[in-house]
Amino acid sequence: MRCRECVEHLYEYLDREVTPDLEAEIRAHIQKCPPCSEHFDFETLFLKFVRVRCRAQGAPATLRRRILEQLLEE
Amino acid sequence: MSSTPPPASSNPPSPPARSPEERREGYEKEALVHLDVLYRVALRLTGNAADAEDLVQETMLRAYRSWDRYTPGTNAKGWLLTILRHLFINEYRRKSRHPETVDVDTIEPFALFQEVQEEDPQGAFFDKIVDDEVLRAVDQLPEAFREAVTLSDVEGLSYEEVAKVLEVPVGTVKSRLYRGRRLLQAKLYDYAVGMGYIKGQSKK
Repeated sequence: MRCRECVEHLYEYLDREVTPDLEAEIRAHIQKCPPCSEHFDFETLFLKFVRVRCRAQGAPATLRRRILEQLLEE
Repeated sequence: MSSTPPPASSNPPSPPARSPEERREGYEKEALVHLDVLYRVALRLTGNAADAEDLVQETMLRAYRSWDRYTPGTNAKGWLLTILRHLFINEYRRKSRHPETVDVDTIEPFALFQEVQEEDPQGAFFDKIVDDEVLRAVDQLPEAFREAVTLSDVEGLSYEEVAKVLEVPVGTVKSRLYRGRRLLQAKLYDYAVGMGYIKGQSKK
């Protein structure tokens, strides 16, 4: 596998959406290619960053109460 | 209540009628647990807390009323998100504060890694960006990208699940995610450079 092909599948690989065969090929390439490895680590960090930062907020307690009260009236 | 015995056919039987208690218990166990997810998605769609709360409340009410159509143990999160999205499109989108003006095909590809590779390949500058800025950057994405990024990157739905909620093919989900992420990276890069967190290269 070449770097270009590897990077083309970058997100599908990180999203765990590739076939086991392709996953093995990509993993093998990353292990022996420092630039690709650095690139994949960076994108992994980016995706984790987005997830953690955007999930900090949850539903307000007042909303939960409103919904439960609404159910009692049903 | 009907006293007719279930038909002895090999067709999947319609679910047995649930008692109101069972109904409510099932709903609390399978639907209410997704309240945080629904609220976050609603916030990203409507762009404001008041509408997001109303949208979620209405979604939960509709879900409760049609709870008998939901098969227990299947994908409640996806089912609820589909209800929420339909409601949003039909009743909230008009007044949402996100105008749809960006031509998504003209978006220039931007790869953050290539920009910061020399200076900060470990992405240390991410730590300096506060949550609100990340949310603001997501909110600035065109709706089609914002939905895909929120469902996949924030809430962890698979491509297949995102495709189902958005009612588009999996290939479309992939391309929206790709472009949405690149656009998000471009916005975060501009912000980080503007704040002096990274020097950045002179763009263009």
